[in-house]
Amino acid sequence: MGEVLDPLEEARRALEMSVADLWWRYFTVGGMASELEIEAILFGALVPSPPERDLLAVALNERFSELGRDHPIPYSDDPQDL
Amino acid sequence: MSDDRMYDLEFGIEFLDDSVVVAIGGELDLLTAAVVAGALNATVDPRHRDLIVDVGGVSFIDATGVDAFASVVQHLQPLGGTCTVRSASQLVRRVFDITDMSALVAFVEAEPSTPHGGGAHDDVPQVAGDGDQVDLAASGSGALVRSSTGVVDAALGLVTAVAASTVENADGVSVTLERHGRLMTVAASDDAVKEMDGHQYDTGEGPCLSAKAEGRWFYIESLEDEDRWPKFVPLALEQGIHSILSSPLMTKDRPQGALNIYSSKEHAFSTRDQELAALFSAQASEILTTAGPEETDDEVRQRFTSALTARQVIHQAQGVIMERNGLTAEDVAGALHRAARKAGVTVRVHAAEVVASVDRDRGAEEHR
Repeated sequence: MGEVLDPLEEARRALEMSVADLWWRYFTVGGMASELEIEAILFGALVPSPPERDLLAVALNERFSELGRDHPIPYSDDPQDL
Repeated sequence: MSDDRMYDLEFGIEFLDDSVVVAIGGELDLLTAAVVAGALNATVDPRHRDLIVDVGGVSFIDATGVDAFASVVQHLQPLGGTCTVRSASQLVRRVFDITDMSALVAFVEAEPSTPHGGGAHDDVPQVAGDGDQVDLAASGSGALVRSSTGVVDAALGLVTAVAASTVENADGVSVTLERHGRLMTVAASDDAVKEMDGHQYDTGEGPCLSAKAEGRWFYIESLEDEDRWPKFVPLALEQGIHSILSSPLMTKDRPQGALNIYSSKEHAFSTRDQELAALFSAQASEILTTAGPEETDDEVRQRFTSALTARQVIHQAQGVIMERNGLTAEDVAGALHRAARKAGVTVRVHAAEVVASVDRDRGAEEHR
């Protein structure tokens, strides 16, 4: 209760995606980090570089797309004022 | 063969008077621990309550790997049994120490070359292995079962070997599983048993197939008096089999296969044997459930190959985009993601289109 979740983790939970599934998608689109590191990122123990974070965003957004939703997770180079 | 192996895990087993020696080779980690625990638990029974685990062939272990031992110690305690870890390397010792498991097991050094029973080991059949396989025999235990086809098959092989030596009149034990819509024998105590399973697959009938299809047991006390499976039964009789006990292997209430025990005697299996068969099939089922019923080693491999192919294509497309648009390596990933989103396709699909467009351009040039 009251805990602040990383938006990536929030999205993962909303999608009911396991960390393992997220890792596979992330790995497929070119990610290099291990599953354990991804878990650490999701729980705020590791801070990813913007490109790494974007790969996780892609992995989650592509799942959102499959479910008919546009990319709800912002990318690092999205215009900030939009 | 060894190059496309996803897991590195091997088992050897040997029964002594009141103890059982299990040799483990390979890596004991998150991926393999649960299956190792299932396999170790399967070897424990009231007759063999002292478990000796030879870890001389273990090349890697972490805290999750030690969990396999915690689980078997829990199973042993009510039976009054003990767990001894043999030939532990410094790494193994340290991981046991760090995880506070050292007090729950006993450690012994590797066996000298002349073990118990005075040379009985020489008679233990050895399966020839690949050059890179861990030599379990050298670590002090005769290896009866050796599998390199994957952790699940190795664990099931161990259960099969234990069942074959524990069930009194068992002449052979096998495990049948459905993989890619086909039934196959993934573990067998010997070739004759494999052939018996094969007769059932070939004729499309038999207790093993029925156990798998209906999710319940089939005990054929006398094949002479059996009138179900008219095509299979004569083939079994021809090979001198007179009783068969097939128990279904269940994951999430869905039958996945069967554990089959064959005997040359009629009315071979006592109530105790039937209970043991139920126990072994439950353990094999547990191993399958733990490993995930949906994913065989083949499927993991396919998924890996598919992911690697996608990465390769994405990498190529990024190269193309960098060259076409004069982008730096830092910006190209974002550009590809945006383009894919705009096109309403996945990054993988868009990357494949980019790469294909280059091939088309090249083809057009060559035709000029």
